[in-house]
Amino acid sequence: MSFWDLIVSLLGQGLVITLLTTVLAAILALVLGFIAGLMRLSKNKLVRFLVSIYVEVFRGTSLLVQLFWIYFVLPMFGITMTALTAAVLAIGLNFGAYTSEVVRSGIQSVDKGQIEASIALNFTKVQRMKRIIIPQAFIIMLPNLGNQLIELFKSTSLVALITLTDLTYQANVLNATTLQTTQIFTALLVIYFVIAWPMTKGMKLLERKMTEGRM
Amino acid sequence: MSEPIVKYNNVTKYFDDLMVLDGIDFEIQPGEKVALVGPSGSGKTTFARLLMTLEEITDGTIEVEGDYLWHEEDSNGELKPASTEHLRKVRSNIGMVFQHFHLFPHMTVLENIIEAPVTVKGIDKKEAIKDGKEMLEKVGLSDKADTYPAQLSGGQKQRVAIARALVMKPKVLIFDEPTSALDPELVGEVLDVIKDIANQGETSMLLITHEMDFAREVADRIAFFDAGKIVEDGPPSEILYNPQAPRLKEFLERFMSTQASPE
Repeated sequence: MSFWDLIVSLLGQGLVITLLTTVLAAILALVLGFIAGLMRLSKNKLVRFLVSIYVEVFRGTSLLVQLFWIYFVLPMFGITMTALTAAVLAIGLNFGAYTSEVVRSGIQSVDKGQIEASIALNFTKVQRMKRIIIPQAFIIMLPNLGNQLIELFKSTSLVALITLTDLTYQANVLNATTLQTTQIFTALLVIYFVIAWPMTKGMKLLERKMTEGRM
Repeated sequence: MSEPIVKYNNVTKYFDDLMVLDGIDFEIQPGEKVALVGPSGSGKTTFARLLMTLEEITDGTIEVEGDYLWHEEDSNGELKPASTEHLRKVRSNIGMVFQHFHLFPHMTVLENIIEAPVTVKGIDKKEAIKDGKEMLEKVGLSDKADTYPAQLSGGQKQRVAIARALVMKPKVLIFDEPTSALDPELVGEVLDVIKDIANQGETSMLLITHEMDFAREVADRIAFFDAGKIVEDGPPSEILYNPQAPRLKEFLERFMSTQASPE
C-alpha cells in the first residue's frame, strides 16, 4: 500500500472512534472538572475532603491502569459496559480530576475586588459565581483547558488496549497484516498531529475572541 | 432631630489579636455627608467596610434604619447573628465606591451598570437600560456605554463605578478613597461628580478621603479617627480651623505641611 492509501485506510476505520471518544470524554471531563473544582472551594470540610480523594486517586494512578480497571475489573463486580463507555468514563474521570484543579485555581485567581463589588451590589453567592466570577475565571482557564483538550485527545490512543477500534488500534491491525511498520506508524503520527494542530489554533482563536478589548 | 439612618453601637473590630475599632458609637442622619479622615491604620476604612458587610463585626451592633445589620432578634428578643436573607435585606440600603473601582472587566460600561438592577433587583431589562443611560449621562459618559472598562481612563472608570452604585438607589453611599488611585489630573472630574451627587441631597454619604479641601466643601461633618477611635467629630469649620485634640492638630499640621511643600 502507498503511504496515502495507508492514511485513508486508517482514517476510514479509526477516525470516528477516536473523535467520538475525545468529544465525549472532554465533555465529561469539563463537567466533572467544574463540579469538583467548585466543590473544592466549598466551606464544608467533608465536601472538600471527598473531592480531594477523587482528585488524588485519579491523578495519582495511571490512566492506562484506570482503563484496565474499569473495563476488566468492574465486570467482576457485575458492572459491565461497552469498550466505548469504559473509555469515555476512564478518560473523563481522569481528566476531570486535572480539570478540577484548573477550575479551582482559575476561580481563585479572579481579583478579590470583584467579590467585594458583588457584595456591595448585593448579589447572592450563586449570582456572583454565575454572572461575575466564572465568566472571568473561564477566560483565565482557557489556555490550560486548551492544553488539557490536546492531552486528552492524544491519550485516547490508549483505548486501543481495551479493544476499542480507534486510529491506533487500526494501525496495529494494519501493521499485523501488511508489516509496513515504518509507513503505518509514520502515517499515524501525521494523522494525530494534523488533528491536534487545528485544536491548538482553535483554542488560541477562542482565547483572543473572548479577551478582545476587555482585559 | 429625625431618626438616624445608620447607628453604630459600641462597635469593636479585631483582626486576630489586633484591635482595629475600639467600641465606637456613631450616628449618620438621613442625607448627611460625613467625611472620615485620619492617619492610615486608624480604622476609618474598616469602620466603613463593616457597614458594607465586607468585614465581619467582632462586637457591638450596627443599625440601618432601625434594623440590625449583623444581627436579628429571635423570638425572645435576644440578638443572634443575622441570616443571609436578613443581611442582604438590610445591606440593600448601602452602596460603595471603591478606591480601585472594581468594575466588571467582562462587561461593557452599560452592562456593568444594569447588571445588578436586572440580576439582583429583577428590574425589567429595558427599564434598566433606560435608567442606566440616564445615570451615564449624569456622570458625563453617555458616549462610553458600549466600551469595555479596559479602554477607559481611571477617572472614567471611577465615574462608571459611581453610576453603577447609584443606580441601585442606596440610602447610604460609601466612598473609599475614590481618588487615591487616580492620576492627579483626573481627580477633579471624579470629585465634581461626587459633589453633584452630594448637592442633590437625599443620599447619605460616608467619604473616606485625604482631600481636605474636598471634605470641607462637601461634608456636613468630619470625623477624625485615630487608633481605632473617633477622637473628634464636628462640622468642617470646627475640625479644620479649631481642632481640639492634640492628635488632630498634629495630623492637620503634618497634612498642611506636606501639601504646601514644593515637590
